[in-house]
Amino acid sequence: EEPASYERLVLKNASVYHYLRISLVFQDSDKRLSEAQFKQLIISALRDLYGEIGAAFPFDVLKFEENTLKAIIRVLSSGLVKLWSALTLLGSYQNEPCAFRIIQVSPLLLALSGNSRDFE
Amino acid sequence: LTMLTDLEKCPRHLLVCEKSNFLNEKSRHDVHVAGHYFNYKVSVLIPECGTLPSGLKSIVNSIAKYYLVKNFPIYKILEEKFLEKQVKAGSLCALSYKTRIDQDNTFALLPTGKLVLSLDKDTYEDLGLEGQPSQYNHKVPVRYVITVDLADKSLAPGTNKYKRVMWALKEKVQLRSDFLMAKHKPDEEECPLASCFTDYQYKEYKPSVSTQTLSDVPCPVIHSKHLKGQAEESCDSQEFVEWLGAVTAGIECNNEASTFLSTYCCPDPRIIMGKACLCTVTGFLLPENIYQLLEEIRHYFDEPKFAPWSTLTVHGFSDSPVSWSTAEHGFHKGGENMYSFVIFRNDDYWLYMATGAHDACPP
Repeated sequence: EEPASYERLVLKNASVYHYLRISLVFQDSDKRLSEAQFKQLIISALRDLYGEIGAAFPFDVLKFEENTLKAIIRVLSSGLVKLWSALTLLGSYQNEPCAFRIIQVSPLLLALSGNSRDFE
Repeated sequence: LTMLTDLEKCPRHLLVCEKSNFLNEKSRHDVHVAGHYFNYKVSVLIPECGTLPSGLKSIVNSIAKYYLVKNFPIYKILEEKFLEKQVKAGSLCALSYKTRIDQDNTFALLPTGKLVLSLDKDTYEDLGLEGQPSQYNHKVPVRYVITVDLADKSLAPGTNKYKRVMWALKEKVQLRSDFLMAKHKPDEEECPLASCFTDYQYKEYKPSVSTQTLSDVPCPVIHSKHLKGQAEESCDSQEFVEWLGAVTAGIECNNEASTFLSTYCCPDPRIIMGKACLCTVTGFLLPENIYQLLEEIRHYFDEPKFAPWSTLTVHGFSDSPVSWSTAEHGFHKGGENMYSFVIFRNDDYWLYMATGAHDACPP
């Protein structure tokens, strides 16, 4: 078999998606949410800020940890700013004060498997 | 309307995908590994393999230890003994610890003997050494980068230039930081690295290793000759790297297109990997250690194996002042500077290199 010949592709701003590692923090309760409730919470945050039409773009909850409320989200790159702002402005869930923390953002999912800012 | 289109913009990012063969004379895989100095995490994925092969295991366990030195003044690096015994003897890497490149002063000593100081405007002006405005400033420079080449003869101890740099760092503004330090093949008999920081609080660390076995994972079919994939026959390199990210992060790859939570699915065509071994090492890892791992994975295929390929993924420190070689690196929304090899059985390889908004194009 012939060895592969050299080829180089440079992809600039080519990622269709962006990926976010986020966590939901409650002020003073250890509230539990299911995956579906978690996604619903984000959908309603988007709707509150951008309205029915502005919020009509898909995103995926790729991974959700019920006991830590940490998640990995995938969103179309064109929806990143909207999703990010909606998460930032969310302030409560079922009348309990809470906030989303954006831990890491990247156009490459593989980048989220390492975060040197966590390094102890 | 302008505002709405602005909302759809996202930070600039670059992904380079290359294919070549390790035996190709012009292959630069070794240069790319050697030139990426500050590595925080490496992970190896081997399909059709239940436990980490013994060759890899012994390399993983022999990865160089590193030190965390507290409150270390930078001028110490320039002192004659340290300079001769550690810096000039070669391959000493040092990086300031828990300093954020988008807000703090950040320092790095490259194994080539270059000292890089990435400083805010006030510190830069107080220090009075010559540098360049950071490439990632807005209209008004708020950050400057000073590069001091300690291997340069005009900076030998005793020269005026040396005295000037020493005075700035020792008397003018005594810059200090916690540092991560490691050295390839340290001369432990003659002059152990640790003997240089006995005046400071320091601790020695071994890189931490975790190994897991994955079962029944759907896995895209790829062909080394076709980076862009072939319809119905193999997946393209971008689909593959997304899948690799999913598997490494423990993400479910078997969703239906109609699932409420996630529509992510392993791309087609695909096969099922019965077992796969995923080994991750975290620490302050030297390029030499990464290269040993890469070589060992190549040798893994010396004997016939079921695995069609293996991967080696390397994450750089997101707050390092350089990515590859002396290319300036910054942090904006993210600070990724990373690369990943897909090593095929016949010595063909794919290499992904990615950088974020504040970085040069990968080499």
